[in-house]
Amino acid sequence: MKTLLLGTALTLGLAGMASAEGYKIGISNTVQGNGWREEMVCAMKAEALASGKVESLNIAHRNTDAAGQLEDIRNLIQAGVQAIVVNPANAEGINTAVKEATDAGIVVVAVDQAVTEPSAYILSNNQEQYAYLGAKWLFEQMGGKGAVVYMRGAAGAGADNDRDKGFKRAMAEFPDITVAQEVFTGWQQDQGKQQINDIIAAGVPFQGVWTSGIDNVIVDAFVESGAPMVPIVGADNAGFVGQLSSVEGLQGAAVTNPGSVGGAGVALAIQILEGKAPAEKTVLVDPELWENVTEEGKAKLAAAANPNLSPEWPVSVSVPGWTTYTMDQIIACKGPGE
Amino acid sequence: MRRWIEANAWTLGLAVLLAVLLLATKVIQPGFGATGLDSLARAALPFALATVGMAVVVIAGGIDLSVAAMMAVASVTGAVLMAGAGDGQALLAVIAVLALGIAMGTVNGVLIVVTRVPDIVVTLAMLFVWQGVALLILNAPGGGAAPWLRAMSAGGVALPGLPQGLTDWLPRGVVFLAVVTALIWVPIRRSKLGLRLYAIGSDPLAAFRSGVPVGQTRIAAYAICGLFAALGGLSVTMSTGIGEPIPGPYLLASVAAVVLGGVVLGGGRGGILGPILAVFILRTVRMDLTMLSVDPNVAAIIEGTIMVAVVMFGAILATRGRKA
Repeated sequence: MKTLLLGTALTLGLAGMASAEGYKIGISNTVQGNGWREEMVCAMKAEALASGKVESLNIAHRNTDAAGQLEDIRNLIQAGVQAIVVNPANAEGINTAVKEATDAGIVVVAVDQAVTEPSAYILSNNQEQYAYLGAKWLFEQMGGKGAVVYMRGAAGAGADNDRDKGFKRAMAEFPDITVAQEVFTGWQQDQGKQQINDIIAAGVPFQGVWTSGIDNVIVDAFVESGAPMVPIVGADNAGFVGQLSSVEGLQGAAVTNPGSVGGAGVALAIQILEGKAPAEKTVLVDPELWENVTEEGKAKLAAAANPNLSPEWPVSVSVPGWTTYTMDQIIACKGPGE
Repeated sequence: MRRWIEANAWTLGLAVLLAVLLLATKVIQPGFGATGLDSLARAALPFALATVGMAVVVIAGGIDLSVAAMMAVASVTGAVLMAGAGDGQALLAVIAVLALGIAMGTVNGVLIVVTRVPDIVVTLAMLFVWQGVALLILNAPGGGAAPWLRAMSAGGVALPGLPQGLTDWLPRGVVFLAVVTALIWVPIRRSKLGLRLYAIGSDPLAAFRSGVPVGQTRIAAYAICGLFAALGGLSVTMSTGIGEPIPGPYLLASVAAVVLGGVVLGGGRGGILGPILAVFILRTVRMDLTMLSVDPNVAAIIEGTIMVAVVMFGAILATRGRKA
């Protein structure tokens, strides 16, 4: 009897899957429990739902390495998805599975970071421009001279390498700017805070801090230690954006690095499935800079701040021109059929 | 025959479970076929090799928490040595990595035997040491892998004398796993060393009084584990084409597969085939959950629940069998 029931349920379920219309899209992500990545996954779900063209999402979302992502992508191929949107663990390590997917006629879109496999589309935030915009603003605030603390991301990560290029480009334009200290925060809040505390305690003179997105804890360190505030550049994480309007004496700028690029990736995948492939295989989303020293900048910061967002989420919850979901939809974090 | 079935009941049960799961996969996804088996085998390979290494140590009454970190060291060493190297050099690199694995395992074993600090403490400490070593060798993913090595785990095999249609269904990853495991484990199992491994696992004191060199055997167990960890690390590099210094999720997965595979955590009982089947079962469950688009956070809970349920079910069966 039990088997009969189970069999009927299974058959009905399968029949249900076959009769529904729309695309079946796979998602692969290898970092779980990080605010930026969670926003990315929610943006993917929200965009799939808002488009009305996606029947189901198969989401492989766990903490793993490139070998695990190979497994996930191959499982998605087996699941019969028509497109895969992937945040690659590594630019080269997952190429074989990406090639297998595109050979099987599956559209592959890499978001956030690039893959070197040429058959994949890449939709990424322009990380070089991200660093350049923030660094240039910072160096101007410092009056074009002085020493800067350069707090990078994770050593060897693709995004960190690209940001380093942008930072160096800005450095070249300001010959009187020097680097007081260069550290890798690993994009870890606790590590970054320890590092800035050490730098403050060591008494190294510096006139500005550039961070690769580990920003609110840096402001906290200045407030807690009572050290004189210097201009600080960070990302558009809700916590830091809030500090830019609330912390006394803080001059700073948030550069947008939307996690919602995941939603844009789903939008791009749908476009390609509909036969509207972009001319270039790589699409870069350009960042914006919101500072708190001019009235115009303050207005932008005030508009971006959103008390409903988790403090670790970037406040830029949509990518203009790409995503179509509403604020409520991304916060709800529900995909098709949920 | 009946005795053989009774002796291998657990392994046979796992084989049946795997077959049922594969059938279920076919029901969920009617298109599941040779390529599906191939990707399953490729995904299982690093897990299976780590599990075999762990199983040997557990059979000998120990545990090695540094297995995933040793894999990372092997993976980055292989990738660095093979980057831009010719085929011949790559072969030397592979041999060097395997030797390195044995050396790392020996260090673990010697530390445990000489210092008499519990194995769980020593290998936990060594986990951090090997992690640091891996990052020193390569601080970010990189390096390369020889094309012939990468081809060894991909696609079907061509075996002479068998029709192509049949061999297409046999993934190269499975053949690779079977060959290396048989080459290393079968001779050991049949030798005095194999008997000693089981002896020190069941009762080290009795083994000692029977003249078994307990310390040496323990070191050998860790060295074998190191060798399989090196093979596991190489298999990661084989599938990704790069070396990754941050260890993957192989430690807990290997302990889970060893337990699910019927090896008793106290040592002395169990085999190698059971844990390998358990690895394939766990990978198939993961594949099915992805295909069914189960919420990924729920999927992890389901995986854990299945594991506990199977082990509990097996324990109940075993107690009943003993009473009867």
